[in-house]
Amino acid sequence: MYRIQIDRSLCSGFGACAEIAPDIIELDASGNATARVGVSDDPAVLDAAAACPMAAILITEEEAA
Amino acid sequence: MTSPRSILVVGAGLAGARCAETLRAEGFDGELTLVGEEPFAPYERPALSKEFLTGEKSASDLFLRPGSFWNEQRIELVLGQRVASVDVERRTAVTSAGRLIGWDALVLATGARARKLPFDTPEGVHVLRSLADAQALRRELLPGVRLAVVGGGFVGAEVASTARKLGVDVTLLEAGSAPFARALGPELGARLAERYIDHGVDIRTETAAAAFLSLPGGRVKGVQLADGDVVDADVVLVAVGVEPAHELGAEPAPPIYACGDNAGSRGHWTGAAAEAVGVARRILELEPLPEQPPFFWSDQFGLRLQLVGDTTHADEVELEGTHESFIARYRARGGKLVAALASNQPAAMGGLRLEVAAAA
Repeated sequence: MYRIQIDRSLCSGFGACAEIAPDIIELDASGNATARVGVSDDPAVLDAAAACPMAAILITEEEAA
Repeated sequence: MTSPRSILVVGAGLAGARCAETLRAEGFDGELTLVGEEPFAPYERPALSKEFLTGEKSASDLFLRPGSFWNEQRIELVLGQRVASVDVERRTAVTSAGRLIGWDALVLATGARARKLPFDTPEGVHVLRSLADAQALRRELLPGVRLAVVGGGFVGAEVASTARKLGVDVTLLEAGSAPFARALGPELGARLAERYIDHGVDIRTETAAAAFLSLPGGRVKGVQLADGDVVDADVVLVAVGVEPAHELGAEPAPPIYACGDNAGSRGHWTGAAAEAVGVARRILELEPLPEQPPFFWSDQFGLRLQLVGDTTHADEVELEGTHESFIARYRARGGKLVAALASNQPAAMGGLRLEVAAAA
């Protein structure tokens, strides 16, 4: 499982994350990224984090419960 | 190539940090060392000209990752030391404190330094690149102080904006006909210049600094311009761009890689992060990720400007919206969309990014 944390003060609204992993990350009305879920097993979150130009998305791997 | 067992990343800015954390996230299990010259864990540089200067953010708010992150990820941070030399044959490096570090792959993420002007710099003349630079500047930006900003680029404009909020008198010296006229076009340049004036900034265009003038005690008292005029100032910020830090001299060919402002990414354009991820993936022999168009943003004088794409070859600009909230589309000869700028329209950015990417 991947834990998803988004530092919204770093987010600059590029939007690639929400395009790559739309089930997991969305943009709010002000254009900033918001996680729809806290954890996910979809490896697309890694690509979404990698596409962020601000390094605002932190993914940490957790042992499955 | 056999996969490396130890990787040394030189430079703990955004690119170095991003490369190291991507290596771990993508499964690299060997020794991973991140060496940084500054005595701080990797931090967010863009805030230095904004929330850090106003005091809305303190140094501890700037760290890119929680303090425990680097330990948990088994990334050894070696801070407050430069890598002084690299031996490519033996695959070792020595830090300024004399520590020997072996590596199978070496990542150069040494970044860039603020350019200085080619004349004597008295006390009170600052640059803004590092957290220490920002701490020094912050101590001087007191209400009523007169600040001269040399260079109307993004750092100069953001500091001018922040300084006005702090009650500082600001004069901005710009070499071109308007701020950002070359990067964003003359219409946008004129629009931004008007905004700065509305916010109380004294802009001098088509001018250059020729010398600093100082008080008998040695502290700066003004900037002499090329045409002989003098701008009185208690504090000066020199914001005339950066130059890549190439002191190590090692050529980036595997097993040596480079990313960030010392490599291809252009100054503050956020390409540094994408390059860092790309290097981590090359080292691990993973497929590259799809390329994203260049992206940049700036907060100044109540505007959030977000630019996607590259305006270098733009031939015409289409503007729509009001003076505060607008979108500019940049087209090359023939009408191809090469870049788009959104001002105070953050929700439009996602769509503009797709438009620019689709036209590429």
